[in-house]
Amino acid sequence: MLGENGAGKSTLLRILAGLVRPTSGSVAIEGSVLERRTARRRIGYSGHANLLYPTLTARENLCFAGRLYNVANPHERAAELLAEYGLSATAERPVAKLSRGTAQRLALARSLVHDPRILLLDEPFTGLDLNGAQALMQRLRRLRADGRAVIFVTHEIDRATALADAALVLQKGRALLMSAPPQRSDLEAVLGQPVGSAA
Amino acid sequence: MTAPSPTLPLRRTLRICGALLLALAAAFAFCVWRAPEDATQGVIQKIFYLHVPLAFSAYLGFFLTALFGALFLWRGDERSDRLAAAAAEVGVLFCSLVLITGPIWAKGTWGRFWSWDARLTLTLLLWLIYVGYLLLRSFAEGGDRAARFAAVYGIAGIAVIPLNYFAIELSRGSLHPENLERGSLGAGMGLPFALGVVTSLVCFLFLLCLRIQVTALRRAEEQRLYASDA
Amino acid sequence: MSTFVAVLWKDLLCEWRNHERLSAMVVFSLLLVVIFHFALPESSAPASRTYAPGLLWAAYVFAALLGHNRAFAAELENDALSGLALAPVDRGWIFLGKAAANFLVLAAVQFLTAAAFALAFELELAAHALPFAGIAALGALGLSCLGTLFAAVAVRTRFRDVLLPLLLFPLAIPLLAAAVHATAAILAGRGVPPASLHLLLVVDAVYAIVSFLSFEYVLDE
Repeated sequence: MLGENGAGKSTLLRILAGLVRPTSGSVAIEGSVLERRTARRRIGYSGHANLLYPTLTARENLCFAGRLYNVANPHERAAELLAEYGLSATAERPVAKLSRGTAQRLALARSLVHDPRILLLDEPFTGLDLNGAQALMQRLRRLRADGRAVIFVTHEIDRATALADAALVLQKGRALLMSAPPQRSDLEAVLGQPVGSAA
Repeated sequence: MTAPSPTLPLRRTLRICGALLLALAAAFAFCVWRAPEDATQGVIQKIFYLHVPLAFSAYLGFFLTALFGALFLWRGDERSDRLAAAAAEVGVLFCSLVLITGPIWAKGTWGRFWSWDARLTLTLLLWLIYVGYLLLRSFAEGGDRAARFAAVYGIAGIAVIPLNYFAIELSRGSLHPENLERGSLGAGMGLPFALGVVTSLVCFLFLLCLRIQVTALRRAEEQRLYASDA
Repeated sequence: MSTFVAVLWKDLLCEWRNHERLSAMVVFSLLLVVIFHFALPESSAPASRTYAPGLLWAAYVFAALLGHNRAFAAELENDALSGLALAPVDRGWIFLGKAAANFLVLAAVQFLTAAAFALAFELELAAHALPFAGIAALGALGLSCLGTLFAAVAVRTRFRDVLLPLLLFPLAIPLLAAAVHATAAILAGRGVPPASLHLLLVVDAVYAIVSFLSFEYVLDE
């Protein structure tokens, strides 16, 4: 999902995640409109904030999230995720003491604690350095290869063209353009030239 | 952008209500003027004809607020919420008037403005709940959130008001043994009282419709501005 | 049910790690005891002892206010509240977990405050410890239910610190009246009056039910 600030991307994502009740219309997942609680079970969400408790450790945060989602063995699942996302070293450190990149990795791990088929990410690339961004792109590709649907919000057309199967551009709360597969020329036309590109 | 049609049917309702209200108010004023003076309390007792009917509407107002709030939570339609908000605003007006006429009556009869009389205290608590409701509406950002929070508060409020009655009984028993005597209605008092209640309810309805109309007009204006902005 | 335990445990764990909430409530209560001492002409005279039950419960209500505000402020820090809203569970259980945690914290503060009051006003609380503890617990239960619900409401509005007391106080009057009446009777050696006990139980039930059912709507954005 792309669009300028205030276009409604975060709001739409939160509606899809079941956090906001739409004033009209409904959300259909794989063709059926589900009751919100059932829908929440299938969706993982990671927003602007990392949804973590700063005084709890990484492991405790994952365990708690696991319990919220009724995961079978929260402790095992937490250990699994910690290993997979390179968080084992910082597992016992309170979240307040984690670096931003690490916290973001933890937030992503948290959103996957219940193994959702659908993942919604709000600006996951913001604030990541080059290595972090590359690592994230790898992870997202792997998640997609797993058969999951991933919707992520970004400001950078490059991410859309490099990663996505389709790109939706929003403007003032309305869908402006759906480009599948994302065409750089189409996107640049509606969003304007990216900063620093050749005129 | 289509203009909202609610103003049109309400305009007719308002005209009918307004006319009815004028007629009733005139009849009511006449009846009160002609009503016999109370033997013990004197002419100040006539405030009673204003005070109690106002209280009817005040309590009705909050009941409607809670009811429409519950409807909003159940059905999610904005109309219920607008009715709830309007009922609260009109209700708090009536409630304030009860709290003003009460002490005036008390001062005239008992020489003291406030003595924690059971019914007046109950109305004071109602007023505080009303005010809490309106403050909540204004402090909550986002129309839907404000509506939902207010609806929850309205429901909590209506559940608590009957409990307040028992609370006041308890506290009065141990600390404040007095109670303002509200004698039964004497001869010649029935008609002005009944008329007062009807006038008060019609007045409530009139103001409610007026308030809803203002809301509708305001929303139409907002939509017009938004449409021209896009 | 497991959600209830998970939320309760998480809240207690957070409190254990960073007990600024508990400490603030305790210090605040002690300050209130001192202020009340100076507010009354002679705090050890028998006359001012009649005011002690009311003042004690006023202190409890203020402490509860402080505690509830802080409880949800922590949830807002990293938007953890949305994390709770995302959970595919009946939100009533989330509410119960938080209310239970708030109850335990408040109960601890109640105990310390009562001790301070007994000292300051020369009350014979120890002799009536059990009935008093029962009334205090029932009161804390009601305050926690109502407080948790409206703290969740107030915390996402402007002026959240101001709004919570405005919302809470008028609704807490029945609980306060019953609790004070019962406490006064207990301290006077008359045992627990059935009228106030019944009112307290009814009030708690009403608060709990309304809060449990409404929390669903409160967690939505």
